[in-house]
Amino acid sequence: MSEKPRHSRLAGAGVALLGAAAAFLSLGGRSGNAFLLRPPGAGEPQRFLSRCLRCGACAKACPYGSIRMDETGLAGGELGTPVILPRQKPCYLCADLPCVKACPSGALDAQLRDAKKARMGTAVILEREECLSLKGLRCEVCYRNCPLIEKAVTVENYLNARTGRHAVYEPVIHKEHCTGCGICEHSCILDRPAIRVGELQPESENLYEG
Amino acid sequence: MDIGRRTFIKGAAAAAALAAAGLPAAFPKAALADDGLTWGKAPCRFCGTGCGVLVGVRNGKIVATKGDALAPVNKGLNCVKGYNLSKILYGEDRLTKPLLRQGDKFVPISWDKALDLVAEKIRETLASSGPDAVAMFGSGQWTVHEGYVASKFMKAGIGSNSIDPNARFCMASAVAAFMNTFGSDEPMGNYEDLDLGDTYFLWGANMSECHPILFSRMTANRLKNPKVQIIDLATRFTRTSQEADRYVEFQPQTDLALANGIAHVIVREGLYDEAFLAENVTLKKGKTDIGYGVEDKFSFSDKGEAISFDQYRAFLKDYSPEKVEAISGVPAATVEELAKLYADKNRKVCSYWTMGFNQHTRGTWVNNLVYNLHLLTGKIAKPGEGPFSLTGQPSACGTAREVGTFTHRLPADMVVTNPEHRRKAADIWKVPVEKIPAKPTYHATEMLRALDRGDIRFLWVQCNNPFQAAPNTGRFRAAARKEGRFVVVSDAYPTKSTEVADLILPSAMWVEKEGMFGNAERRTQHWFKQVDPPGEAKEDLWQLIEVARRLGFGKLFEYPGQDLHHALFEEYRRFGLGIGKDLAPYEVYQKERGVIWPYVNGESVKWRYNTEYDPYAKKEKEKGISFYKNKKEHKKAVLWARPYEPAAEVPDGDYPFWLCTGRVLEHWHTGTMTRRVPALHRAVPEALVELHPEDASRLGIRNRDRVLLTSRRGSLELRASVGERGVPGKGSVFVPFFDEHRMINDLTLDAFCPISKQPDYKKCAVKVERIG
Repeated sequence: MSEKPRHSRLAGAGVALLGAAAAFLSLGGRSGNAFLLRPPGAGEPQRFLSRCLRCGACAKACPYGSIRMDETGLAGGELGTPVILPRQKPCYLCADLPCVKACPSGALDAQLRDAKKARMGTAVILEREECLSLKGLRCEVCYRNCPLIEKAVTVENYLNARTGRHAVYEPVIHKEHCTGCGICEHSCILDRPAIRVGELQPESENLYEG
Repeated sequence: MDIGRRTFIKGAAAAAALAAAGLPAAFPKAALADDGLTWGKAPCRFCGTGCGVLVGVRNGKIVATKGDALAPVNKGLNCVKGYNLSKILYGEDRLTKPLLRQGDKFVPISWDKALDLVAEKIRETLASSGPDAVAMFGSGQWTVHEGYVASKFMKAGIGSNSIDPNARFCMASAVAAFMNTFGSDEPMGNYEDLDLGDTYFLWGANMSECHPILFSRMTANRLKNPKVQIIDLATRFTRTSQEADRYVEFQPQTDLALANGIAHVIVREGLYDEAFLAENVTLKKGKTDIGYGVEDKFSFSDKGEAISFDQYRAFLKDYSPEKVEAISGVPAATVEELAKLYADKNRKVCSYWTMGFNQHTRGTWVNNLVYNLHLLTGKIAKPGEGPFSLTGQPSACGTAREVGTFTHRLPADMVVTNPEHRRKAADIWKVPVEKIPAKPTYHATEMLRALDRGDIRFLWVQCNNPFQAAPNTGRFRAAARKEGRFVVVSDAYPTKSTEVADLILPSAMWVEKEGMFGNAERRTQHWFKQVDPPGEAKEDLWQLIEVARRLGFGKLFEYPGQDLHHALFEEYRRFGLGIGKDLAPYEVYQKERGVIWPYVNGESVKWRYNTEYDPYAKKEKEKGISFYKNKKEHKKAVLWARPYEPAAEVPDGDYPFWLCTGRVLEHWHTGTMTRRVPALHRAVPEALVELHPEDASRLGIRNRDRVLLTSRRGSLELRASVGERGVPGKGSVFVPFFDEHRMINDLTLDAFCPISKQPDYKKCAVKVERIG
């Protein structure tokens, strides 16, 4: 038995919205300078690239095959470095972080012990005009599939102006909890996902909260 | 700053909505637009909500569907399943030819051969084992026409009552309680109650995921009216609980005690409506210690005995808030508060429920108990006030219940056990009254047991997937393959049921045929055929009639010079005219976005039994409520004293967890349609087992670990979900049943409510082990 008083889920939360679109210049192929999703614990790109041995141990350790070695440069990264392409397979945040444990060089930071504290990137609903939930449809697949549901993604209700008698269920991302695992991007039901993982956004660069 | 952001969101959403609102005007029949695209109307193929959609067809193929802005149910919106609706027709493995089993393989045969074979097998069975051994396993997804033809085929053609639908699995308890309380099936209110009430009790209903458009309407009501409260009473914390103002968790099966506890406080405090009770309610008690139906050939019939209000008051003594707390885990103070909310004269109270109530070994009782709360307070059959049973299938109401495709039923609430009802049916069907047997045979679960025993030799399954959806499926899958059984399955796709068939017949689906569905608010919706089915696929109705011809009773379905669908419906409509079950003329449905029955003097009755809205009630009295359908109870509703009794199988040392099964928003039923939509499959590719975080940590199970679930009937490997979209109560696990690769019903128990015969999919005992 437990009871839950209704609470305001948004109270005091720093909400990541409409992050810098520049981070998402490339959509499908992720070529050029676009954001690359690295395994948990990779941290800041320069530091990661300077330490990564391109050995593939993390990819081998990943039980889902989510981590792949960018051997052709197709993903746009440094040749031979590990990347995660969420649309193909996101990071499922294994509790024991086998990829981090397997990394011999510290490129994946062994200080990271809790997968839910990983900060690989931040999800953003980039194509807001395409998002079904924002159109008032009951989709919210990204919300229900988020492994940090109610922390990293919540839904906010407001009246659907068109019908006047339904509520919109808008998924809202809270960047302070978002790991960037990409499960939301993976599971978005649109051919071109409306929600995508991009660069971690420093607090001050949130365009719509300044 | 925050306000600015929110304003922006709203602006953006409104703009998006307006863009999407560029919908075509009403096209009753598919009308040609400039670009070769035609738009026709249809109700959604999935749940019992009955959202309207527009179907866009170009070059004989559906190229788009969208929410129908003119549909009163959904005003242009859909859920993510409805958004993907058109894709269910175009899975790569659509069945396009009749397939006959040869050993472990299926080989294509012609329709002629297939239909001859079906007729031959039926004839053989009739000769060797009699009409009861010929059985039809039907569906709440049948169109009204299909259900009507199937019922007439069995009861007037074969002369057998061995027909029962999968709707037995989803709302038989609601039917039984509607009948024994009000003398007429289906709710008195309609979806407008979602807009008009201010206090909503959800009992065992994950509405946010399972009736998403209706829940969005309830949420909108709350946004507009700060008085609105949503109270979720459940055994599992769901997205509905998250959205609710209050979540009250009770131990499985103890909703019986909780509802009685609420009644206890209402009676103790004198919060009931004495005048309403005196005028409209009679009190009864029924049999107790009624069993669970786990054994074959279990039989039970209830017997009501009149009691006084004082006797009812004495009965409620066992359900003081303190005693209820001990049984259910709900704090006594909460029971008091809930009772006061129900009884508050300044609150318009609605109760909504689905499978938590209906799939329950005391399902009829618990339905009765929630009616009691509305009868005690007189909050019933009024705008924004009343009990409302939600349904899970698109035509559970329109077909299974209204047409009466159950072993014991006939159309329009009539039953085979009543000689007058049989006579009326025989009259309309133009058969000798002796043709319709007076005795019901097998309800859905018992039908599958009878197949196992050999009491049924021929089984025809149409438009559903019982060999994945039935409880304790393992037994029945083996039964289907036993020597001397012949199983025909009509479906659009290969399923777990076609897998065990002897003959597979390829079916047309949804708008590949003309049809009608009836949703949970008594709204019947019509659509025209809009595309051809693929290959040689044929509608189920045609399959039945062709076999009827071969068996020599094709005349039952001949309407010379008339359109078949039109004529079938007009014949069926005769059953309900003048008795408060009036349907509209066929032409009306062809035009309208659905019509609510009873349809009297050219108008729908929105709130039955209410003299302000219902001409039948008005005939009875000047003002107020009349339960005019309950003639044998002097037109009063029955308040039933029903006790708490434990579940059929309770966790113990060997099997320490409750197993509850259910759904997720992204998939529908056994997933035979939604799992063929790549986007939905990508969204939820497999069934997971949800555990309470404390149980998981005690067992060393982390999110996505592999877990073995074992019941006394079977075991299953699944990945764990801990603290994600649903969180079962401590000591419970939850698994959805959509995944044919993870057959959770191999573990469930085929115990059922002895009154309704609906199985309890929500409670059996399992053990949980971490693998590796």
